[in-house]
Amino acid sequence: MNTVYALAASLDFKQDGTCFAACQSGLYRTDDGGATWHSAYASLQFDESPTTPAVAVSPDFVQDKTVFAGVSGAVMRSIDGAQHWEIIALPDPPPHVTSIAVSPHFSKDGVVLAATLEDGVFRSADRGRHWSGWNFGLLDLNTLTLAISPNFEDDETIFVGTETGVFMSTNGGRAWREIDFPTEHAPVLSMSFSPHFTQDGVLFVGTESHGLFYSDDRGKSWSRLGKDYIGESVNAIVLSPHYPDEPHILAVLSNELLISRDSGKSWSNWKDKATIGTLVCVAAPFGLGRDAQLLVGLLEKGVVRM
Amino acid sequence: MQSRDRSGTVPRTVNRYVVFQPATYKSIQRGINKIVDAIKPTLGPVPRMVAVDRILDERMPEMLDDGATIVQRITSLYDPDENVGAMLVRDFLLHLRDQAGDGTTTGAVLLQAVYNESMKYIVSGGNVVALRAYLEKGMRAVIEQLSDMTVTLKGEEQLAQMAETLCHDAHMAKMLGEIFDIIGEYGRLEVRPGRGLDIDREYVEGMYWDRGVVSRKMLDAAKDYRIEMQKTAIVISDFKIEDPRQLHPVIELSRKLNIRSLLIVASEFSDSTIASLLLNSDPEKGQIAAVKLPGYDQTEEAWALQDLSVLTGGRPFIKAGGDTFKNMKLEDFGFARRTWADRYTFGIVGGKGNPRKLRAHITELRAACEVAEETVIFEKLRSRIGKLMGGTAVLWVGGSSEMEIENRQEVAKRTASVMREAMTSGVLPGGGMSLLASRSYLDNVLKNGSNVDERAAYGILRRALDKPFRLIIENAGYDSSRVMSEIESAGSNHGFDIASGKVVDMMDMGIWDATEVVEMAVYGAVKTAAMALTIDVMVHNPEKQDHVPLRKPSPRKKMNIDRSKG
Repeated sequence: MNTVYALAASLDFKQDGTCFAACQSGLYRTDDGGATWHSAYASLQFDESPTTPAVAVSPDFVQDKTVFAGVSGAVMRSIDGAQHWEIIALPDPPPHVTSIAVSPHFSKDGVVLAATLEDGVFRSADRGRHWSGWNFGLLDLNTLTLAISPNFEDDETIFVGTETGVFMSTNGGRAWREIDFPTEHAPVLSMSFSPHFTQDGVLFVGTESHGLFYSDDRGKSWSRLGKDYIGESVNAIVLSPHYPDEPHILAVLSNELLISRDSGKSWSNWKDKATIGTLVCVAAPFGLGRDAQLLVGLLEKGVVRM
Repeated sequence: MQSRDRSGTVPRTVNRYVVFQPATYKSIQRGINKIVDAIKPTLGPVPRMVAVDRILDERMPEMLDDGATIVQRITSLYDPDENVGAMLVRDFLLHLRDQAGDGTTTGAVLLQAVYNESMKYIVSGGNVVALRAYLEKGMRAVIEQLSDMTVTLKGEEQLAQMAETLCHDAHMAKMLGEIFDIIGEYGRLEVRPGRGLDIDREYVEGMYWDRGVVSRKMLDAAKDYRIEMQKTAIVISDFKIEDPRQLHPVIELSRKLNIRSLLIVASEFSDSTIASLLLNSDPEKGQIAAVKLPGYDQTEEAWALQDLSVLTGGRPFIKAGGDTFKNMKLEDFGFARRTWADRYTFGIVGGKGNPRKLRAHITELRAACEVAEETVIFEKLRSRIGKLMGGTAVLWVGGSSEMEIENRQEVAKRTASVMREAMTSGVLPGGGMSLLASRSYLDNVLKNGSNVDERAAYGILRRALDKPFRLIIENAGYDSSRVMSEIESAGSNHGFDIASGKVVDMMDMGIWDATEVVEMAVYGAVKTAAMALTIDVMVHNPEKQDHVPLRKPSPRKKMNIDRSKG
């Protein structure tokens, strides 16, 4: 493992210890909570595993064993926990998949979305068997990150972060509308919904060079958060699964892992500040409690447990 | 006697005849009543037919159920005095149809009611000038009420319900609901004749223009007569390329840069230029497709140059600016992920223009749309925005005969037009309920009217606002007075569902009218009726019908509602 672009943990991580790491050198899997990792592409017998910038697992991974990985020009799909793969090619010229998001009600709706660097958003509604571009209203096809509403079944809301801002879909990703996010603060690298988005309308957005932003009205207006602490690239954001009752927010900056336990008013380092390298992504399968353990993906240095 | 000739020369003398009061009022009233009564049967979801004789052939009369089409067929009444009133109504209704796409019969019924009620007041000694001012004041108050009652349509289901109230075709409504949920109010929708009996839809990714390749030979080697190119470099110009040598710098540079797909857009290509391009197009060295610059006049061509440039990031080469291809550089090319062209169209998917510039460009076009005064300009701007939004929906409309397909296409287009209005302006409870509900405001102001003319004006408006509702009910074969009393006891937002014959919550049932349509109908009806009331004398030219000057019709102005309280 070298550079890790994305991590996707099983929702039953406490029991199965399973997590996938999308890396420059392919896709890796751990079944022991991150102690050891092995290639998830073994069955494909690649001479050289393709760079894999995106990975996502089904919310029902324990039952359906479904994993999606994004590579250049294709989405890879496995329905047996990465034992075997199906490669679904995207239209030429090959787009670069940057992010994959699976519907929280995947077992019912079968919806998966893939953001790409130059071709916008691809959508599948048949559990990833077929994909097609759905870019009505998406005026910037350089899409970098996706976030699906926790109440997707009812509100069908998705946000996509692009080089010039944020776009929103309220029909399951088939059409997009511009959101009044200041374009001068883009590109947008990371996004996270409040688990109670339907009630509180809260959404966080991390940018490449202008810090962290927050909206509590479903993206209509934005305010900067933690300006004194976060002045740089926000590569990933994780909210407590109990937010806002437990108002913990984790922000992955390039060289710092910051936690706020008061909805972003104040920030401190996650446990001890340690120089471990450049941070890229994170998985928090145990939540954001003081004793919880994180898996952190690094630039050129694999995954560490913190 | 001398009259205007066909060249439009102004005559020196024309014999006229002049009509004074009370004949003016009476004949205008007869004209208004004739044309409005002709379309009244068409109001509501259960319209009755109006048979209109054909002018040019002996086929069976047209069977029409659309008020605007019927008034369009009534080009004049036999009696020139009555014709004045009829043509006032006709002009208003056609204007309303062009602007809002619907609401013509509602507007006509309102106009008729306001005029007739006002006439009664005037002949009993009312002050016409004061009445007109108070009618307009009351009309603004009603429009304000309608704005307050407006709600926004959300989601595919509500959009489909809205569509069904307009087209009365559940399958078409379902398709249109899905389409508008995807493309939004500005998105591009093409309604085309389908091959089968059914209605279907298709979504085309990217943008396309109605200009195909300049030579069919460019398609000879292409699969299904459609060139598909990837990572295409695009040359954008309005040049008339008569000499193939004009394009040599472009071809040489593209070879030097190892560009494998080249799309050339220009106003015209001579035969020798096309031959040269065919010789230079080679799957090994690089494929070349040439298409004509979209647009039917200089303005449209300029718009196409601008849009293509923003979309692909290429420099537009403009003849009037003295541009040539001589010193062309890499950055002058536009680029796209994919392009395609066939005999009739060419398209671009994933233009590599700066997305910030594209977003700013669309914002500017939207702003221009807001202030566009002419309907044609407004529609063209909206079409440009639609093209740039990243996709097109195509509704394929089938049917059992050519005539049925044409009729269904017309219904689909009309429905689509009103749905755009509804998505922009919001919706109101349908079936005439919003007009009934707005009476309550007039009831309040009626009590406080400062003088007899003011109270009379509000009373006239109040009674007129009942009329569309009553007519819808009566056209469906129900007793309007009985239904009205049932609705009044059921509470707000309740109305009568013709389909089930029950009193229901109109919003829950998805029975809506577009706010813009209702507002324009009220505004235009009261303005036109009030204006007609002030006509005192009519002057006719008896020779007019034999000597109609040939003139181009002037562009229709957008009906901008003056919401000032004055």
